[in-house]
Amino acid sequence: MAEKKTKIIPDEFKPEVASKVVTIDKQDFLLQNDAMFTFYQRTAGELSPFFLGIKNDRKIIGCKCPKCGLVRVPPMVTHCPDCDFAPTKLLEVGQVGTMNSTPPITYFATSMFADKAPFGRGRVILEGADTALSVMLYTTTGILVPGLIKKGTRVKVIFKNERVGQISDIFCVSASELTAQQVAKKGLLESEINWEAPKEPKFPKPGEKNIADFKHSVKELQALAIKMSHSKRARRAIEGWKRNISVKTRAGEFAMYIDDGNFKIEEKKLPSPDFIMACEDIKTLVDGLMYRGSITDSVITKKLWISKNLEFNTIFKLDRLARFLVMEQKEKKAK
Amino acid sequence: MAKRVGIVGAAVTPFRSRWYQKTYYELAQMATREAVADAAISIKDVDSVFYGIYNDIFERACIPESPLQGIIGLQNKFGIRVSNGGATGAYTLSAAHAYLAGERFKTALVLGVEKATDCFDFSSMSATPEVIKSIAWSGDSFFEQKIGWSASDSYAEVVLGYMDAYPGTLKPEVTARISSLLSEMARSNPYAQRQFDQVTPEEVMNSRYIVYPFKELEICVYSEGAAALILAEEETAKAIAKNTGKPIIWITGMGEANEHSFAGKNQKDMSHIVSDYVGSRRAYEMAGIKDPTKTVQVVELHDAFVHQLEITLAEFGLVPYETVDSLIEDGLMLPGGKYLVNPCGGLTYCGHAVGASNIMSAWSARKELMERKLTTALVHGTGSTISQYTACAVLEHE
Repeated sequence: MAEKKTKIIPDEFKPEVASKVVTIDKQDFLLQNDAMFTFYQRTAGELSPFFLGIKNDRKIIGCKCPKCGLVRVPPMVTHCPDCDFAPTKLLEVGQVGTMNSTPPITYFATSMFADKAPFGRGRVILEGADTALSVMLYTTTGILVPGLIKKGTRVKVIFKNERVGQISDIFCVSASELTAQQVAKKGLLESEINWEAPKEPKFPKPGEKNIADFKHSVKELQALAIKMSHSKRARRAIEGWKRNISVKTRAGEFAMYIDDGNFKIEEKKLPSPDFIMACEDIKTLVDGLMYRGSITDSVITKKLWISKNLEFNTIFKLDRLARFLVMEQKEKKAK
Repeated sequence: MAKRVGIVGAAVTPFRSRWYQKTYYELAQMATREAVADAAISIKDVDSVFYGIYNDIFERACIPESPLQGIIGLQNKFGIRVSNGGATGAYTLSAAHAYLAGERFKTALVLGVEKATDCFDFSSMSATPEVIKSIAWSGDSFFEQKIGWSASDSYAEVVLGYMDAYPGTLKPEVTARISSLLSEMARSNPYAQRQFDQVTPEEVMNSRYIVYPFKELEICVYSEGAAALILAEEETAKAIAKNTGKPIIWITGMGEANEHSFAGKNQKDMSHIVSDYVGSRRAYEMAGIKDPTKTVQVVELHDAFVHQLEITLAEFGLVPYETVDSLIEDGLMLPGGKYLVNPCGGLTYCGHAVGASNIMSAWSARKELMERKLTTALVHGTGSTISQYTACAVLEHE
């Protein structure tokens, strides 16, 4: 969750000045790299006490209407719209609360949040508040999966160590993952929490059948990879993408190469892969690539382990590769 | 007394994941050309244009409609743009209806266009993350954007809120079946982006999570395309209809509502799409519909997400909240069932060219009313930050 970005627009998002030509039905069409950008020095105005409270004092500030008594967090109004615009007063609220409803979990994020997925985002009603504050949600135990945080779950506000005065300076974790002292502490910092480090799973020794299945599955995958590399549509799923992936299973290891539309499987060990995938049963991956299940869901359900969360991007592309091949086959049949 | 307003012409361009061959200028003109041809009038007979364009970033211009006025042949005539999130198209129809009912004009062009997938993410070398990022600029800029708000996760919040309130509803096998059904509907729509992408419920259930609880095949697809309607007040509509020999499809009800952008006590109720409830009731009232379950035959609703399609039908009063899955389990929306829902394939399979989508839905509803000789359709648009927007129209065959 820690982020050290010094530029408003990170360099990796910025394309070169370039263009290319796409030919459709023997006619050329020009594509040009382009951008719309506007910079701001934007005031937080009347919201400044809330954002300064987070940044400087590790406090959460709300506002209370003296007429109806409603405590709004964040303090989005200076005057209560329900009470003929009676002026509201700022006050501090608690840093523990309950989820207003079950939060969604984002696995496929926008380009700006790809490095943060999977994450939850939901609404917490903090102690002393009547309205809900929108927050990011994480678990200290690895990947956030459905069921960990639900409507009514007690959550605790955590402050990032480096804060800039934005809503992203805070996030929440389930209070049940913290000690009583941590839950009680005001202004609890991210660095005060034990985050479980990703550990590559260890598998039991394979039997003869496992090894035979592995050999057979690798051959199946190699044949599939050739089909995918020949499919115009499937190639689009991995266009412009390059990854050398080491895949470890109970019965053996193989290499998966993605190279700008080409997809290849080789039974060999990679000395320095871009990342590692590990699954006890190779069929988990075979089913995903054969479009009999999703590889993304295998990661979520912990059947498949990946060494870098950011490589969810590659996992999505593999799922798409499988789907695009099937779509092409269906379309050919339908037409 | 407001004037009656009817639809006398309609057209759509093919919805595609990418139109390399056309800019939004040409897509807009293409739909306009076809719509005036359908009404058998000249563009010179059109008094006004109402543009439905959702997102400046997609078109890469802050007044994207300005180049269109001359391109569609309406220079020096009235032109106004409506931008209301996902509900842009339905709200554009609402605005045009109000101007014509108020006798400001005799005819209006309702024109929706969107060019979404010019956006491109150079870090993942694909369009989708950038398209959804562009939409994510729609979220609250102080409290939501910087923590990953997206269209999908904001709708997922409401869907999960509904599931909290009505446990056991929106079963995965039901949403998968609906997605499969919509894919079958799209098969007969030559303008659909996924005309040949028929999927089985099993494939839907096997597809990957995008944002829990949404699977990839339960989500609308971003499209590029345009849609246009020709609207006319009563006398003009009758004259046009006499000439074309096509029936007038009257807009007999319009209803709209926008919700609060914060949740909690006295704010947004996360377990309902209140705007769908209020918007539809306002439209029913204007159309004189007392019991929609006995009147509405065709529903063309904005299915941004299949789960939301179910909730929206419940908010419309067409199925009880607690037994919303009876849409499939009791066959209410199955072929031959009580309601014909999204015969175009919906936004899930026909596609979601945002500003054009609800106008495409009206095009489809009109077509179904005419071809199947049915009487009443409900057309719907919804958009969401957390403050959901809804506009509903009741269409009736003369």
